[in-house]
Amino acid sequence: MKWPAVIGMLAIVALAWGVLGLRGAPEVTQPIAFPHKTHIELNLQCTSCHDRAEKEAVAGRPRTALCLGCHGGGDATGEIKKVQAFEKGGEIPWKRVWRLPPHVFFPHRTHVVVAEVKCQTCHGPMETLDRPPARPLRTLTMDDCLACHEERGRRVEKTAARGVVKTGRALSTDCNACHR
Amino acid sequence: MALWGMVIDLDRCTGCQACVMACKAENNVPAVGAKEATRGRIISWMQVLTEESEERTRFLPRPCLQCDDPPCIKVCPVYATYRNPEGIVAQIYARCIGCRFCMAACPYTAKYFNWLRYQREAPGQNPDVSVRPKGVVEKCTFCHHRLQKARERARAERRDLAPGEYVPACAETCPSRAIAFGDLSDHGSEVARLARSPRAFRLGEELGTKPKVIYLSETEAHRRA
Repeated sequence: MKWPAVIGMLAIVALAWGVLGLRGAPEVTQPIAFPHKTHIELNLQCTSCHDRAEKEAVAGRPRTALCLGCHGGGDATGEIKKVQAFEKGGEIPWKRVWRLPPHVFFPHRTHVVVAEVKCQTCHGPMETLDRPPARPLRTLTMDDCLACHEERGRRVEKTAARGVVKTGRALSTDCNACHR
Repeated sequence: MALWGMVIDLDRCTGCQACVMACKAENNVPAVGAKEATRGRIISWMQVLTEESEERTRFLPRPCLQCDDPPCIKVCPVYATYRNPEGIVAQIYARCIGCRFCMAACPYTAKYFNWLRYQREAPGQNPDVSVRPKGVVEKCTFCHHRLQKARERARAERRDLAPGEYVPACAETCPSRAIAFGDLSDHGSEVARLARSPRAFRLGEELGTKPKVIYLSETEAHRRA
């Protein structure tokens, strides 16, 4: 009999499945199949809808009123009809895809407004998606944050030395800048 | 680079504990419960120490003194506590291994240990400050998150941080205005002026820790002179 071999194989498969299952974030299904690609092709900016990214630390999901600004009224089909179902009030129950660990504090405002970092730098090629991402397109680690802060910090210091930026402050690599 | 400091006027302090409560609310400082409290595990980043005598009671609000030469950072084996470029002694919870060496090293007993998980994330907490897990040391940070928020605002509006824009919760709340806060490296600032006052003294000056929390007291300065 080859039972030990079969059991061994099963154990390996189970282990691999478990490890792979743990590696990816759980899949997220959104209530509406929002196509980023279509909207970007209409020359909309990321911050046209994700407007809180320019004002607050947390970017959040856009308000339904913003969707209805364009999609309100008239006959609609498919996914747009689902949006119009919220015309009487209430918010679309978008689910959160991107999550940072609770000990990391990331302000969108500074990165978007002051540093003018492109959204795709951290979020990946969102503009190519014709349906909502089931999981984050990129997995960020502290190395990614620090690499950018160090590289750009050197650049800011150079421009500050030339007197181009008068109030230039080197990008912080202080632990306390993100962990508090 | 700024050097943040605080001046506490003991002649003005009434011991009302408003600073203590403001600090607790601002920094998600947990209430440990009666059982833990009897074991001496109370966490209070700001504490009003009292000394009673026949004639009068004296109060001394004691946050972390944010030493310029902190003894706690020298003993940390993992660089979880360090003096940041602006003079604030930081504590990085994600890095802290809970060995409590820093607590033993601090001559002012300003550091506290989370013996248990005292609270979970809940509505009503300050979202700008983390909820500390079990097994890490925590301490007053001069409301460092307020500096970051003020600086973010200033930078988004493309201007410099104005004096008075960054004030810790205790200084903001003090009803008798006993707590002044600002940049000690700026000679014209209120704190720098008060720090040069003949009433000024520092706790444990002889230890060479160079605290950046400076006290003002007529009698104490007189006694020490």
